[in-house]
Amino acid sequence: MPTPTYTLIDSVTLASSASSVTFSSIDQTYGDLVLVVDGKAEGKTGLYLQFNGDSGSNYTTVGMQGEASGASSYSQTLAFTNANLMAGAQGLNTVQLMAYSATDKHKTILARANFATEQVRAAAARWASTSAITQVRLFMDSGRNFQIGTTLNLYGITSEVV
Amino acid sequence: MGVVKLSTAGIRNYSKTSDFLSGNLPLSLGSFDLLETTTLTTSAASVTFSGLGAYSDYKHLQIRAVVRGSFSLNIRLNGDSGSNYAIHSLQGNGSSVSSSSTTSASNAEFIGSAGGSEDANAFGALVVDFLDAYSGSKNTTMRGLGGKSTSNPRIALNSSLWNNTAAISSMELFGGTWVAGSRFSLIGVK
Repeated sequence: MPTPTYTLIDSVTLASSASSVTFSSIDQTYGDLVLVVDGKAEGKTGLYLQFNGDSGSNYTTVGMQGEASGASSYSQTLAFTNANLMAGAQGLNTVQLMAYSATDKHKTILARANFATEQVRAAAARWASTSAITQVRLFMDSGRNFQIGTTLNLYGITSEVV
Repeated sequence: MGVVKLSTAGIRNYSKTSDFLSGNLPLSLGSFDLLETTTLTTSAASVTFSGLGAYSDYKHLQIRAVVRGSFSLNIRLNGDSGSNYAIHSLQGNGSSVSSSSTTSASNAEFIGSAGGSEDANAFGALVVDFLDAYSGSKNTTMRGLGGKSTSNPRIALNSSLWNNTAAISSMELFGGTWVAGSRFSLIGVK
């Protein structure tokens, strides 16, 4: 029996600028999460994710980007970065947190970022933990804030047919 | 006796039923529905979703996979193993970007699975869309986003063409030996 899904779990629209946004006590009944971030920052910055409060060196990222000067690929070992946001231009990031509630595998994250005034980007990241993701914190480079009006929507996609 | 035309125009919150027997479950009215999921409990060389004609009221199909055991997720539609597929990919490995193409391939290909010898517990992930899957008059186009951040990292945008206008009735997913815990979910999109 087809099971309707892609369910909105939480939605945030910033009424004031914020240095980070955290989704806590995330429902564990879904298979995947999709996070859509549409916003601006107070200055050019990357967008980072942190799970379950883990600030250790447990994140790796591989990405590629295209911009006016050409295409390139990058890797990071500090934390997951997605796409640049900056003042005056809207950046749209769609992040897939695959098998986020599984406890038998590391977590793989896929991201597509559209920042039409500067670049387009895709990335894959891994959180080297078998813990289920119960909390997602989004933040930026030091000193940067999400601007007012930035929206962050979290959706759940079930992986079990009812 | 006059003829009265019945309409649902003035009815709110109604649901269709699969037949006229009372008590049957209503048909799904969602726009993005999970149709089937296979999660491997033991390793397997392939996973097949068949009988997909039953889902022809959907416009598009999507595979959401979390997989380990091969570099790529290969797909054959309707059992066709002929040279009827074309493949394009754009991929980054952390130091450079490259692109490739193949014509007359015997399967569609999507990069992003983690290999069996890569970091323990690491899985790759892919989201593959099958656009206008039941058209019957268009060759089938697939697009995918896949990646893994492992000892052999990769992020990839892929597209594949099945040079056939038939509606999709089955899809075989293969590439290596998928390990236990690999998950394949089939989504219908209206």
